[in-house]
Amino acid sequence: MKKMWTIAVNTFRESMRKKTLYIILIFALIVIGASKLFSFLTAEEELKMIKDVSFSAIEFFGALIAIFASITAISTEIERRTIYTLLTKPIRRSDFVLGKFFGVSLIIFVNFILTTLFFIGLLLFKKSIPDIEVFKTLLLIFFELILIGGITLALGTFTTDAFNIICSFFLYIVGHLTSYGKEMIERTENIVVAGLADMLYTLVPNYENFNIRDKIVVGISVSWGYVGYTILYGILYTCIVLLIALYFFQKREI
Amino acid sequence: MRRKGYRYLISIVVLFVGVHLVQVQIDYRKKIENLESNLLLMPGQIAGSLVLGGFKGLAADLLWLNMEEYWHKGQHYKILPLLEAIAWLQPSYILVWTVGGWHMAYNIYAEVKTPEEKQYWYQQGIEFLKKGLAYPFNANKYDIYFELGWTYYHKGKDYPNAVKYLEKAVKYPHPEYVDDVLAHAYEKNGQIDKAIKQWEFVRDNYVSFFDIATRMIHDLKTKGKATP
Repeated sequence: MKKMWTIAVNTFRESMRKKTLYIILIFALIVIGASKLFSFLTAEEELKMIKDVSFSAIEFFGALIAIFASITAISTEIERRTIYTLLTKPIRRSDFVLGKFFGVSLIIFVNFILTTLFFIGLLLFKKSIPDIEVFKTLLLIFFELILIGGITLALGTFTTDAFNIICSFFLYIVGHLTSYGKEMIERTENIVVAGLADMLYTLVPNYENFNIRDKIVVGISVSWGYVGYTILYGILYTCIVLLIALYFFQKREI
Repeated sequence: MRRKGYRYLISIVVLFVGVHLVQVQIDYRKKIENLESNLLLMPGQIAGSLVLGGFKGLAADLLWLNMEEYWHKGQHYKILPLLEAIAWLQPSYILVWTVGGWHMAYNIYAEVKTPEEKQYWYQQGIEFLKKGLAYPFNANKYDIYFELGWTYYHKGKDYPNAVKYLEKAVKYPHPEYVDDVLAHAYEKNGQIDKAIKQWEFVRDNYVSFFDIATRMIHDLKTKGKATP
């Protein structure tokens, strides 16, 4: 556990030295801040837009940070050959992969907290006290970001960086469309096609589960039951991708 | 190593079964909580690509800003497809239905010349508002009921329908003026007793309406008519 934690902290420190993550974070803060420009609208419309823009920015830039931090987490160690020194020490490969995952999660968490605080500050500045629904939305965005980070990290154990980026973005888009896929499955009459599509529906990460912001900004409440199940979904799926990462990293010849 | 590999594989399969079961629960909850998304393949490139990323709200906001621009330029007809698009992207955004209904029944109504055209746009406004009510999350708020009641009352002089929708509006949390309009609608609909009762309710519950409610009750009881 201690070894895992040391690797996690080192991963976090190393990522903090990269300028790319700061640039993405600054962009996120600019976009969230820019939502204040809608002051020509009525108060109700403006608040909706601030929430819409901020939730989207927290998620989108958070996803960028999760992807970029995860991509380099393992590949850099291999490129710089520092992994050889590490693995000669009494460190299990599973400690290494899990340490990297927790390091990436720490980066995602810090970025998430900074953007969230900025957003809440903006809401308070507009004299709107964020309600529990806002926090539910943010909580689900955080678990989505962790899942995105986990998937990218897992892909990094057996693919090149370029392929990983393409794959992660592709999954990000497809993962938001799976709900529409479900609608199509229900309309399909062919049992074989429906069965295959249903299987695909389970295999592909359903990021749209985490997307409740469209409802929250217009005042619809989402139950804790839904939030709980979605968090459970996120945790289970993250466990799967970590197992995949462990499997491929164990098999990898280093 | 091979044995370990099987162990990983079995664990992954077991976890996927868990994921599937949780997903079934999530889908069920989406259905009962009206959290499902519409199947979307519209409108235009910007909105389309945002939809791909799961940013439907943001797409609706961009279209709303576009609508604002047309509004200030006085291009009222150009607003119509945008209203439809926003309503499609975010049907739970109640403002789009109320603004849309009002826009058709009042602004475009005022712009057209013939009585037939005016009647057409009045009906379009009413239909648009009713379309908004078809979504369960909108049907549990006073907003669209009030807008329908008001449009029937003020623009259509259709008092039975005005009463019908205003009575529904007051069942949900609402501002004070909704009760006030309902009292007027009762009177115009010939339900004087109900109008008096409604004004008494307004008088007893809303301080800001005390004077007007007292006067209305007095006029209704003495002259049988209070609303000009």
